[in-house]
Amino acid sequence: MLRLDNISKRLGEFSLADISINITAGEYYVLLGRSGSGKTQLLELIAGLNDPDSGEIWIDNENVTHKRIQERDVGLVFQDYAIFPNMTVFGNIAYSLHCRKYDNVVINREVKRVSEELNIAHLLNRYTFNLSGGELQRVALSRTLITSPKLLLLDEPMASVDASLKDDIKRTFRQLNKKGLTIVHVTHDFREAVSLASRVGVIHNGRIIQEGTPEEVFRRPVNKFVARYAGIRNFFRVRFSNDNGTWKARCDGNLVFRLPDDRYPPDGLLIVRSDAVKLHNSEPDPGNDNRYKGVVKEITPSEHGMEVMVDAGEVFYVDVSSDEFKMLKIREMSDVWITFTPESGIALQGNA
Amino acid sequence: MVRNNPFNWIFLILSSLVLLFILAPLAGMFLDTSSVELIETVKDREVQESVWLTLWVSFAATFLFAIGAIPLAWLLARKQFPFKNVVQGIIDLPVVLPHTAAGIAILGFISRDGALGKAADTLGLTLINNPSGIALAMAFVSIPFLINSARDGFTAVPERLEKAALTLGASRSRVFFTISMPLAWRSIVTGFIMMFARGMSEFGAVVIVAYHPMIAPVLIYERFSSFGLKSARPASVVFIIVALAVFILLRLISLRKKETYLSPDAQA
Repeated sequence: MLRLDNISKRLGEFSLADISINITAGEYYVLLGRSGSGKTQLLELIAGLNDPDSGEIWIDNENVTHKRIQERDVGLVFQDYAIFPNMTVFGNIAYSLHCRKYDNVVINREVKRVSEELNIAHLLNRYTFNLSGGELQRVALSRTLITSPKLLLLDEPMASVDASLKDDIKRTFRQLNKKGLTIVHVTHDFREAVSLASRVGVIHNGRIIQEGTPEEVFRRPVNKFVARYAGIRNFFRVRFSNDNGTWKARCDGNLVFRLPDDRYPPDGLLIVRSDAVKLHNSEPDPGNDNRYKGVVKEITPSEHGMEVMVDAGEVFYVDVSSDEFKMLKIREMSDVWITFTPESGIALQGNA
Repeated sequence: MVRNNPFNWIFLILSSLVLLFILAPLAGMFLDTSSVELIETVKDREVQESVWLTLWVSFAATFLFAIGAIPLAWLLARKQFPFKNVVQGIIDLPVVLPHTAAGIAILGFISRDGALGKAADTLGLTLINNPSGIALAMAFVSIPFLINSARDGFTAVPERLEKAALTLGASRSRVFFTISMPLAWRSIVTGFIMMFARGMSEFGAVVIVAYHPMIAPVLIYERFSSFGLKSARPASVVFIIVALAVFILLRLISLRKKETYLSPDAQA
């Protein structure tokens, strides 16, 4: 559906380098990256607002690299919606149909249809300056969808929306995608990627550094940057070794982790997801798991309950649910044990 | 409003002195002109004709030159090109030139030996001592006001609005007329008013290009040099009243335009 072949673009000090992405029809592709990573620039290249220095853009088996914006059949919803303040909601939504010189009867019918679909029919005669973030976004979306684009590009669509409306908007995007619309969604928030994407691409410094399903990307991040992005905070610089058939990873602080049988480089990073680490207030049964004694250094409330920082020779962050936390009866300076299975350690190459 | 501290008082006194400096001579001139003199001057056909000539020629000059000045302002706001600073400098040049020198330059250009003068001559037109020559002289000294104000207006229009319009299928010209122009409208109108007002009050450049037909500033000068202060004063008062009335009217129109459809977002 959309194919980017080795796209490069220099923009002042910054450049997009050798980006290749292949998105199939009906896919929900989330491009995840920090601000300044080049994700908006990439969207603008796809939409045709800029030309790449090299590489090709294909939409539906047609090379559109040098095609005019107006002929690409791509809809772009801007981060802050870019609603025209000199027009009413109706004027905004009808804009593209006026450009295509449609009959007024058709324009009225289409604007009515789209605005009803997105629940903004009651706003049509209003000017846009006192609309809420959620309403503005629906206007922007209606304005784009009325052209029936082949491909919908969303630039940080949740950035200016109240938290309470985010679920509604996600539902709208999911429904659009279910109806067959291919969506490329740019965001800095991995939670949006997890909840919406059928595939995720992580972009950093103008390069795609990992691509895959959300599970692949967040369970098996290729490097520390992606891991941090996925909310992983337990990183250990280690040397890998095989002692009598058992793979181990030794930290600088001499803590040793047991790992499943696999191939490992001589040294690298080992990461463990906070939710893969279990916390105990008494010594657990010895088993196959990695098991360490430590002291609670800090307890901070988190999205899921509490995040407990434990010093066990190395610092671990452990996610604990509120119920679990109550049962553990721990506080700062309590002695605790932490365990995690050898399989939950994720090894990364060298200086990744 | 002003708290009792010396800093505020000093600033208030200095500001008042400046305002007084602007208002006192004008007020003096109004007070020294009797209503009889004023009525006679208003009835004076020569005065009426010169005021009318000044207004319409300045308006026509502003209107015609706006056709080129507005696109130029958009280019300056939106595009990067080599020697952009030089272009900006050229635009500001008329502001710093002595206006009589500007008049001499225009005269050279529109006289029968000059490029424009020759072209006009082949069409049977004379630009010297003609309203079209006056319009050129007025435009030369006043056009920077329109270009600079419109440029600032276009710069303030968020570029993403223009981009959004392009992605919705609008042509470049449609984007310009439906998005850029309406959103920069207030600055364009302000620039238009400034250019019109500046053109209307021009003396130095115009007097060299066309002593006749007489625009109001030339008429005032002529009455002063021929008959003295007392004779020039009523004509000055009449012209000032007319100019102020037009200025206020245009300001009101531009303000109302703003109220109707500019959102805080567009001005950001």
